Amino acid sequence: MKQLSLVPLRKTNQLPTNVFHGKQPFTLLLTLLLAMMLLITGCSPAAPAAANEPAGTPAAESTAPAVAEANTPVDPDAEIVLAGRRNLAPGERDAYYCSSILFVWEPLVSQDSNASPIPGLAEDWEMSEDGHQWTFHLRQGVTFHDGTPFDADAVLANFERMGGEVKTSSFYPLHVDTHYPNLQEVLKVDDHTVQLVFSQPAPTQLYNMVNFGSAMYSPHNFSEDGYFNGLAQGTGPFRLVENVLDEYLVLERNEDYYGEKAVANTIRIRVIPDVDTRFAAMKAEEIMGVLDLSAITPALAEELVKDERFGLSSTKSTMIRFLIPNGTTFPFDDVRMRQAASLIIDRETFVNELHHGFGTPTTNILNYSTPFYHDIPVAYDPEKAKALAAEVLGDQRMPITFYVNGGEPLQKTEAELLSVWFSEIGLDATIQVMEWTAVREEMKAGTHHLARAQQGLSNSEAATIFRRFMLPDGDQNVGYRLGYDNPRVNELMAAVDGELNLDRRHAIYQEIQEISAEEQPIIPLFNDVTLLVFNKKLANYDAQVYGLDLPAIGWAE
Amino acid sequence: MGLYVWRRLLALVPVLVGISIIAFALGVLAPGDPAEIALNRSGLYTPTPEQIAQVRSELGLDRPLVVQYGHWFQNLLRGDLGTSYTNGRPVAGELLRRLPLTLQLAGSAFMLTCFSGLFFGTLAVVFHREWPDRLINLMVNLLLSFPGFWLALLLILVLAENRSLLPTSGTGTLAHFVMPTLTLSAATSAIAIRLTRASLLQEMGKPYMLAARAKGLHRFRLVATNALPNALPPVMALLGNYLGGILGGSVVIESIFALPGIGSYAIEAIFTRDYPALQGYVLITGTFYVLVMLLVDLLSVMLNPRVRLGGASSHG
Repeated sequence: MKQLSLVPLRKTNQLPTNVFHGKQPFTLLLTLLLAMMLLITGCSPAAPAAANEPAGTPAAESTAPAVAEANTPVDPDAEIVLAGRRNLAPGERDAYYCSSILFVWEPLVSQDSNASPIPGLAEDWEMSEDGHQWTFHLRQGVTFHDGTPFDADAVLANFERMGGEVKTSSFYPLHVDTHYPNLQEVLKVDDHTVQLVFSQPAPTQLYNMVNFGSAMYSPHNFSEDGYFNGLAQGTGPFRLVENVLDEYLVLERNEDYYGEKAVANTIRIRVIPDVDTRFAAMKAEEIMGVLDLSAITPALAEELVKDERFGLSSTKSTMIRFLIPNGTTFPFDDVRMRQAASLIIDRETFVNELHHGFGTPTTNILNYSTPFYHDIPVAYDPEKAKALAAEVLGDQRMPITFYVNGGEPLQKTEAELLSVWFSEIGLDATIQVMEWTAVREEMKAGTHHLARAQQGLSNSEAATIFRRFMLPDGDQNVGYRLGYDNPRVNELMAAVDGELNLDRRHAIYQEIQEISAEEQPIIPLFNDVTLLVFNKKLANYDAQVYGLDLPAIGWAE
Repeated sequence: MGLYVWRRLLALVPVLVGISIIAFALGVLAPGDPAEIALNRSGLYTPTPEQIAQVRSELGLDRPLVVQYGHWFQNLLRGDLGTSYTNGRPVAGELLRRLPLTLQLAGSAFMLTCFSGLFFGTLAVVFHREWPDRLINLMVNLLLSFPGFWLALLLILVLAENRSLLPTSGTGTLAHFVMPTLTLSAATSAIAIRLTRASLLQEMGKPYMLAARAKGLHRFRLVATNALPNALPPVMALLGNYLGGILGGSVVIESIFALPGIGSYAIEAIFTRDYPALQGYVLITGTFYVLVMLLVDLLSVMLNPRVRLGGASSHG
């Protein structure tokens, strides 16, 4: 040990003797250091008493601290800073440039809180008796942010753009066939009227057109390849004035907006990918609220609202979380096994324990945010589940492979809880954590027995989901290896195509939902919620099915 | 020396070509169809087979792999790294946009690591077995015990959330870089301190140090000016490796502190099977790494005359 040779050096050195020698000063110093650390962490402003807001309740009114600060004048035009996990305006090479929740662009047809179509830039419409033509009467006196008037020519330019090659997006791919199946032509009737002509009856076309389905931009906003040549120029209550990718974007109130103007003058939306950092930024009051999908986890939201500076807002979302059984192989090719797996799941416990009550248990394949949703009681019957499983497995136990997406850490915990229940019906699950793309590939190869997935709604037309999951050639039915084929469903879906009567259509959809709950082509777990948190210095921060009512938010008085 | 540099530079070419081929092969072998992923970035929509086929054709994914690679390499020689599958933007532009931030972060972390490694390592030896040495040892053990992400969250909690001394995340001012720099530098600083200390102690035991001590040199001068230059080569190798590593960006640090550097670009590219982005990233970081290693080797030669160019070294 060569360093031992230093000992004589230490003994003979002539340096001034340091006052701190031996163990005592070292202990003293260590104590001081620890005391300082405690001082720094311990003297932090204590979180005010818990607000005791039950999960899922709308935002509470401002409480004491906000009232105290009300004495200081609030500048209503001061910039509001919010944050989300991703770019809400991915930019020129995105088919939509930015998300609908920024209120920069507007659709021809919007939707209400029940996802029913309501007037957007089209203020009125009618369908021909045979369902082949839809005529839209456009709102007058509307201009795009670049000053171009919104009229029938602008609508035609947008449809022309949609008719080109499919354009990719962070939101939904843009192509005319996606939102306007069987569209033959788009006609300009007059300056403020357009007509869509379809080769097949299209009675529910409005549901296909809501929001992303009929986004309108200035005709001068498009590049040669159909993307964008600069900042998005819509007609909405906010103008996009700055967009720094991966960092922030800035919205300004559109003073020329034809409708009710936005309350906030300027809103900055930062990109903060990590949810813990968003939480910290909320606590530090660097941001006043979060928005977009997965804005905050239920656990962090509950933690945040223990501090009465913060409020929480939630409402139903278009997302449904479910299990994918491989219906092309044993044991889930037997409907009784799918039923057993569904009946053994205590969904109330699942949602309450793992998702803090933010979600609604369901066995229905259709998300609860569409107007066609039929509420079906959720069955939980362990005894029946065991009996059904015994009929399929006999007295054997069955090892199964259960894939979960590693990108969502909670999925593994979910899978562990589900595995405990599944073991009661003779299924011994091996949980494999992979990234989602790899899970998709495994499912295509059919190596799974179960996988965890989720599905949003690109539009509120229920047939889209039934077609994709329940028809034998549906892309999700094939891609997930659901192996689902029910002649009655096929018959009902064939009938839907020509059905112009909305009540009869409702009845068909209801029957299909009941079949889905009975046969479980997928095993739904719960309908998700849009969950937002905000600082109570803001007013009207109310969650919507997708996003929030951004034009309504402003500084509280 | 000049010949040695040229030889080393030429040796880089096959290394970089090898890196690009491996990166290309890994991207292709990984599960997932880039066309499908490009069409379903939100994960909420499943494109039709026709849409997938159309995008595959647009991206050139329907061509043989060799042709795809050859095409990419040809463009590379013209300075074109291709276009991202997922956002349609030029890869070179995207890397250049993100690179300054990564360089800024890597530079500050590297400087902090160098300073703390040399300063505290030297201090520990000057006060060997006295309280500063023990305190530094404690600090080293603590820093080595903290996982990076945990340290980042702890710093945010204390310095941003509770004390409001620093911003939690983002860019714009020097203050935004304090916590990321501390986090990125922490573990390697600890290793550098430990290595500097060990290397210095080894030097202190050598006969020439006995002679230096006999001259009655001041303890600090003895360590800093006589022993330190000879103790540097292993520390430099460590710091060189570290710099090469952090120039590739740190996914965890960039994600936690919302820093859009090239690390986050790479991880996004991996998730979306964005081959051109991945290849561009690998090429840039691979180049950085081998250049840094070359620099370290050259500095070692300059610092230690006993090292002979070409790998031989004298003993004496």
